[in-house]
Amino acid sequence: MSIRIQSGKRSTATNLQTKLQSVPFKIHADCDAKVKKYFETYVKEKENHLTASFRGYPLKGKVIDVPDGYKGLVLHESMKPMTEKEDRNFYVIHTFDKLTMWNWDKVPSKNDAMIQALDWIDIAEALHSPIVDE
Amino acid sequence: MSGKDIEIKCLSSLNEYLSACDNSVNAVYLSQIPQVCKDHPCVLGIDEAGRGPVLGPMVYGTAFCPINNLQLLETLQCDDSKALTEEKRDDIFGKIGDNRNNMGWGIEVISPNFICNNMLSRSKYSLNQVSMDSAIGLIRAAKEGGVNIAHIYVDTVGKPEKYQSYLLSLFPEYKITVAKKADSTYPIVSAASICAKVSRDHALQVWKFPEEIGNVLHKDFGSGYPGDPVTKKFLVDHCDTVFGYPQLVRFSWSTAGNALENTAYHVEWEDIEDEDQKKPENNTSITSFFKFTKQSSTEKKQHEFFNRRCLKSTTEL
Repeated sequence: MSIRIQSGKRSTATNLQTKLQSVPFKIHADCDAKVKKYFETYVKEKENHLTASFRGYPLKGKVIDVPDGYKGLVLHESMKPMTEKEDRNFYVIHTFDKLTMWNWDKVPSKNDAMIQALDWIDIAEALHSPIVDE
Repeated sequence: MSGKDIEIKCLSSLNEYLSACDNSVNAVYLSQIPQVCKDHPCVLGIDEAGRGPVLGPMVYGTAFCPINNLQLLETLQCDDSKALTEEKRDDIFGKIGDNRNNMGWGIEVISPNFICNNMLSRSKYSLNQVSMDSAIGLIRAAKEGGVNIAHIYVDTVGKPEKYQSYLLSLFPEYKITVAKKADSTYPIVSAASICAKVSRDHALQVWKFPEEIGNVLHKDFGSGYPGDPVTKKFLVDHCDTVFGYPQLVRFSWSTAGNALENTAYHVEWEDIEDEDQKKPENNTSITSFFKFTKQSSTEKKQHEFFNRRCLKSTTEL
């Protein structure tokens, strides 16, 4: 099985104009949501973080920038494979350069896997960039 | 926009103040403190309105007047706010405003969102604690405003004895009486109760929905008591399948929670699930060390660094 991520020249992928929210829960649905009216309208800025609510639960968040030289991608798979062996095709439908990460009543920090994951970018850079002899 | 500069003298300025408030956060208002309340020892009453309903704010109210002018409360016909009709309460509230040179009052409007955020926080902060802290805040505000407090009367939440000794530990300089049904026993608590109840009713009347759910008025969501058919209908008609309800609703009430389970999409929380189902560590039985087994899989494992960060090499997806 191989995975292809496609974004050809004809790709219509555009930088997301709306805000991207990463939430600490899974909604068992796939549909449009009134994020602006029900969520963004209540986002408040505190000293070093943001606050919001979802179904009464308090959320604390931070804006995370996609590191320089990288781009965030929103992928879409139009056909889910029937078997594990089949190839999978993902299409780039949007790009983004920042997102807001939310935790349940906890300010996002270095303890969160997603923020830690970004460490890899620096380490990969150190490990894999060509060694230049001075 | 904020209500900070609005002085509440009557019902219409109360509405103006409440409209200017941000519905999603708490608001504290204290009337001007009349000179007589600074010069003479006062009684100060505290009571709450809207503790039980599934929607709208809970409002804490306080009222104070000099002990030498207690007959004022009688002339106002202060009585338990629940025993009075809405018109009568509005009428008395207006009179309290007219008497602003003889007595003072204050409220804290505790937003429904504040209530559920606290009840659904990691370190659960109960409604009783929210209530007590609000009462304490009002006492402090009156004290700082220069009210010559002598005796405080509080309608209890939970056990009166416990609450009373808690308040006494914070305010040893005052006489404090905490009692059940204090609102029908002590006229100053009745006055506080009326300020709270009138403010809650009017907060609902001028409630604005940032969710833009259409032109929904107070009559369309009712009293908020779980038994009210209008409230029940509102909870059915205005359920968003993703977000649930507008923030007028207290999600932490079982009435709202149950209604959501039936109509809205199921939501699975990352952390909450984790905390609830902490499985015991996989204990290795002692005999397993003596069994002959094939050498455990030689499957290539990735370094802990990547596991901890939920990172995976995509060629292994």
